[in-house]
Amino acid sequence: MSTATVTHAKENGTSALVEVCSVRLEKTWFGVPISHILEIVGGARPQPVPLAPGYVGGLVHYRGDVLTTVSLRHLLNMPPKDGPQDIIVLESKGGCFGLLVDAVGEVLTLSAVDFEQNPSTLDARRRALLAGAYKLKDKLLVMLDPERLDPIRLSSAQPS
Amino acid sequence: MDELTREFLIESQEGLDRMERCLTELEERPQDAGLLGDIFRSVHTIKGTTGFLGFKRLEKLAHAGENLLGLLRDGKLHATQGIITGLLQLLDGLRSILKTIEAEGSEGDGEDSALIVHLEQLQDATTAVAQTAHTAVAASGQSAVSAPAEPPPAPVAPVASAAPAPVPAASVPSAAEPAPPDPTVQTEAEKPRPQAIASAAESSLRVDVTLLNRMMNLVGELVLTRNQVLQATANDPNMTMLSRRLDMVTADLRENVMKARMQPVSNIFSKMPRIVRDLSQVLGRKVRLQVEGQDTELDKSLLEAIKDPLTHAVRNSLDHGIEPPEVRVAAGKDAEGTLKLRASHEGSHVIIEVSDDGAGIAVEKERELLQLIFLPGFSTAAAVTNVSGRGVGMDVVRTNVEKIGGKVEVDSRTGKGTTLRLRIPLTLAIIPALIVRTLEQSFALPQGSLSELVHIPPEQANASIEWIEGVALYRLRGKLLPLVFLDRMLTPNGKHREADERDNFIAVLDADGRQFGLVVDGLADPEEIVVKPLSAVLKDIGLYSGATVLGNGDLALILDPGSIALKSGVTMSAREEEAAVTSGEEVTDELKGLEYLLVETAGRRAAVPLADVLRIEQLPLSRIEYIGYRPVINFNGQLLPVEDSGGVLQAAEGKPEAQVIVVVCRDASRHVGIAVSQVLDVASGADLFEAGTTQRTGGVTLLKEHVTGVVDLGNVPPLPADEHQTADWNRIAETLA
Repeated sequence: MSTATVTHAKENGTSALVEVCSVRLEKTWFGVPISHILEIVGGARPQPVPLAPGYVGGLVHYRGDVLTTVSLRHLLNMPPKDGPQDIIVLESKGGCFGLLVDAVGEVLTLSAVDFEQNPSTLDARRRALLAGAYKLKDKLLVMLDPERLDPIRLSSAQPS
Repeated sequence: MDELTREFLIESQEGLDRMERCLTELEERPQDAGLLGDIFRSVHTIKGTTGFLGFKRLEKLAHAGENLLGLLRDGKLHATQGIITGLLQLLDGLRSILKTIEAEGSEGDGEDSALIVHLEQLQDATTAVAQTAHTAVAASGQSAVSAPAEPPPAPVAPVASAAPAPVPAASVPSAAEPAPPDPTVQTEAEKPRPQAIASAAESSLRVDVTLLNRMMNLVGELVLTRNQVLQATANDPNMTMLSRRLDMVTADLRENVMKARMQPVSNIFSKMPRIVRDLSQVLGRKVRLQVEGQDTELDKSLLEAIKDPLTHAVRNSLDHGIEPPEVRVAAGKDAEGTLKLRASHEGSHVIIEVSDDGAGIAVEKERELLQLIFLPGFSTAAAVTNVSGRGVGMDVVRTNVEKIGGKVEVDSRTGKGTTLRLRIPLTLAIIPALIVRTLEQSFALPQGSLSELVHIPPEQANASIEWIEGVALYRLRGKLLPLVFLDRMLTPNGKHREADERDNFIAVLDADGRQFGLVVDGLADPEEIVVKPLSAVLKDIGLYSGATVLGNGDLALILDPGSIALKSGVTMSAREEEAAVTSGEEVTDELKGLEYLLVETAGRRAAVPLADVLRIEQLPLSRIEYIGYRPVINFNGQLLPVEDSGGVLQAAEGKPEAQVIVVVCRDASRHVGIAVSQVLDVASGADLFEAGTTQRTGGVTLLKEHVTGVVDLGNVPPLPADEHQTADWNRIAETLA
């Protein structure tokens, strides 16, 4: 998959390349720009926080600090998943936070030419979370915007 | 800003701090040449360096001050009140320019000519003497100077050139001085200056606070890892030595990193003389400031945090505590009031006391009423002055102190004075906590607000827990204690097991005077936890003050007793009402007898005065070590002697995995442990009299209808003191001298 996109980008020649980490939720793949990723933590079991807003997936111990995680499943109205999950540690203006996903895939190099904005028919709630998509050969890779997933943004955006 | 300027700013600040201290001392000893020389050097150093860095405004002002100081130092002028006030203004002027430089990188374009002119006028001996009158001081400055002095330049030139290079050389290293262990430097160390300072500068070094913070974090991490290693290897005899070594090294390292962050309270106490001086002039009070325990050390961040509360407290004492001289004389007191600042260690806390011998607060009967003065908007001041009296001060004091895990206590007697005690934890980052279990999850309860634990098994739940309209109450020694069920509070919509279907553990908490029982499902061990901050989203929930990683690797949220009390509606007034309901003979009975912790030591019952009990530790026998034949426990370098007259430890000997219970008590200023086989209950004791007499018998009390011996903590012999340590200190003191 990645080699295909790289050659595709080379054909275009002029356009910029973007590195994206793919993450999976059930059967859907999403992309997170690698520039925002600090680290990927595998097989974590976040500690739930009673009375926390629903989108908070719990706490994990991360490099001497306690990291708040955001449950992507909850944001996309999916049922919660039991068992260990992967965490992408993201950097944002308000500090670090973790994004809980089912699994982390691979790093893809994509060409900016293949990018398209969110479709206008997307419902408002999802439009607020998703940041367009890359057209891959066989599917679409929906992009997540780390800034919009920041728990502080979420807390002001949706009163839980 | 370049490195040189930053360095200059730090040094100048230190120089000015020293100048401030000296100036307030100068008021008492205006002839002290040493003090004058010191002040002169501070200003001279600033002047010298500014010229080099090109800060013209600063240089001009410092120059004017230097001229005046030169005359003082050479004995051509006497330091009068007016001159000292002028010098303090100079200090403020220099400080504000330094602040501008720090903020903007340049001096700004303020105008100092008025101050410079004033300083020049002060050089004229006649005007200066004329200014001695106290009225001129209060009017603070220029307008009071009547005679337009003759142009002063004449004495300027010789004085300036009479202070050549060697002076700054001596005073620059002295700027690096706060580190050495003797913080009484200001007064004593004046005479043996040059060598002592040079050696202090060589052996100390300036370290960035952020680096220390990072080190502290890393040590916190290490403590966590150690806890985990200790738990993981507890059952492996091969690892015992290794893990004990790790334990010791970690404790040592932690202590030393913490020490590196320690600063003497004199750093903030030294600001007080100036505040007291200025305020007492504004308010027309006569106040003598007494400072004790300046060398008590406190974590730097905590020191910063209590600076404002302390200033508030001092302002309050001056404005509302100490009366004007004429009122004091009328009340038969010395016209001069005394304000005492005292710092001391007490266990893992530093106590800072601000006490005055003023009017006190006129509510001495009811101690709880004193808590009211902490409510925002509550003021006892009849008049709102520009110093204080808007009812904000004490609230700020309390909020700030509680923010860092401290406590504030007030003790006031009408006509005698008020004492404000701030109890500050030694360190922010690591606190003792009890781990409790609820909802299959661990939570940490800070030990500071925990007063006792009560266990109610399911079969007793219906009898012990009483209800008023859905509100659960527990009768704690006759008083009704409101209960808060943690599981219900945390999952308002979830399903909950009834109290009679499970074990109930009531943690009796006291949060800012609000007493309540928090009911949890289970108790785990007490642990020293490293507090980690929570993200803003979780802080907003308001129930958690942080999170921590436990020895078993689990994360635990740290519960905030104050917020839980607020959220569940436990208020102080509720407690007062209860007190009123239960008042009558029952309460008076309660007050008569002391409360005791009833323990069992190897088959016998004994009582420990509850007021002396600090905490109860359950630990493996292997934690008990011996000095000769004396059992001790090492708590991170603090040795706790353990009294084992009941033979509990002997009985458990040979079973290193056995758990022993140690009741940790306070005996005067030291802590003592008592090994017991079981803690039975808390009960209030009644006095016993020898038959046929009214002679009260000592050492025994009537507890639960049994005559019970009271443990005499004073009988536990102290551990041998370290002779070397005192000797070492003497030697160091000698070499410094």
